[in-house]
Amino acid sequence: MSFLEFLAGRWSEILGLTLEHVVLVVISTVAGVLIAVPLGLAITRIPALGRPVLGFAGVIQTVPSLALFGLLIPLPLIGGIGSRTAIIALVLYALLPILRNTVTGVRQVDPAILDAANGMGMTDWQRLTLVEVPLALPSIFSGIRIATVVGVGLVTIAAAVGAGGLGSLIFRGLAMLDSRLLFAGAIPSAILALLADGGLAMLEARLVASRGAPTS
Amino acid sequence: MKGVAISFREVTKSFDEKLVLDRVSLDVSPGEVLVLLGRSGCGKTTLLRLVNRLVDADAGGVYVGGREVGDWDPVALRRGIGYAIQGVGLLPHLSVGDNVCLVPRLLGWNPERRRERASEMLRLVGLDPREHGDRRPDQLSGGQRQRVGVARALAADPQALLMDEPFGAVDPIGRRSLQEEFRALSRELGKTVLFVTHDVTEAFRLADRIAVVADGGIRQVGTPHEISDAPADALVRGLIEGAA
Repeated sequence: MSFLEFLAGRWSEILGLTLEHVVLVVISTVAGVLIAVPLGLAITRIPALGRPVLGFAGVIQTVPSLALFGLLIPLPLIGGIGSRTAIIALVLYALLPILRNTVTGVRQVDPAILDAANGMGMTDWQRLTLVEVPLALPSIFSGIRIATVVGVGLVTIAAAVGAGGLGSLIFRGLAMLDSRLLFAGAIPSAILALLADGGLAMLEARLVASRGAPTS
Repeated sequence: MKGVAISFREVTKSFDEKLVLDRVSLDVSPGEVLVLLGRSGCGKTTLLRLVNRLVDADAGGVYVGGREVGDWDPVALRRGIGYAIQGVGLLPHLSVGDNVCLVPRLLGWNPERRRERASEMLRLVGLDPREHGDRRPDQLSGGQRQRVGVARALAADPQALLMDEPFGAVDPIGRRSLQEEFRALSRELGKTVLFVTHDVTEAFRLADRIAVVADGGIRQVGTPHEISDAPADALVRGLIEGAA
């Protein structure tokens, strides 16, 4: 039986797992954005927050993903086997790139623009919403893109703690020494990562074009 | 709105223990163009920024229209004073027209009135609203951006204008025409203008009166004629002769 016939026989299962994979990535990235963007903006207002928050996110980032999943499993309430544990770990991983890009995005706004904004009588909130966030948007967006692409990869590993997704085909293929199963998981997840990266890169380029060059 | 008087009374300011302004007093009459002339680091920009409270004085008083700036809400004060700076500071993600009408937008003008005002202001500074109004700032030349900066400073019809080397980033030829047009414009509008520059030629071209600033103090105040005829000291003489 050829690989294509193998795929044809299992397409509904592969499709279902791909969908599950995408849902896990979307949930964790969206949650990551909802936490990291406001937190990043808070850091630009309260610099004392920067060191502990970025430090924490940085430590999380250095813990190997399989180890982090393992560490979360025994924790009461948030741990256990299944997608909940995986989503928590994935959100934690999404924090650093988004946080860092939010903070740098805001900090790299041209000082002349900020001076003009203050001099024109903008309140702090107006400066944030009318000037800093719009100008930091391309940078924030590229942080989201990094988090998404990394997330696609991490979800394959999250199958080890029973999260589902395409990783479960890979792990099954490894366990059963079945390279067809392995590829049936590996190829779609690689394609997914490339699509996410390419799609978000296109959106990012349109965003930059529609807002004018951030430095001028 | 016509110009308003601006006064400095014994103003002192230090940054990190370094004395930048030492008991400076100066009166700017309503409707006059007063140029603060001096080398970089002499304190002239700090003096300007005291007026709209981007900097607060350590001691002494700054008065706009007879009222101490400390009694104003900084946001309200700034919206009533036009501000233009060397880097221009246009928002790159907004159209030229939207940039011009930022302060009116902060003041809550409706979009219709803002659009009309933007067109009016762009024509005033020699730009065609139909040709330039919808462009992004990065699609304009350096000189055109500076014009937009002036239009923006004027948009809410402020009582006074603060300008910190607003024509600094333009080539000499473009600069000269900007200066001449600005001189005519400021006479016509009758605003009080406080203008910072290190360029002696620019100061003499624009000013009703010049205040020469050095080492945190004012060395001489007078009309361009008075200063070139009778420099108060060797430093003032050196500064104006250096330009000749």
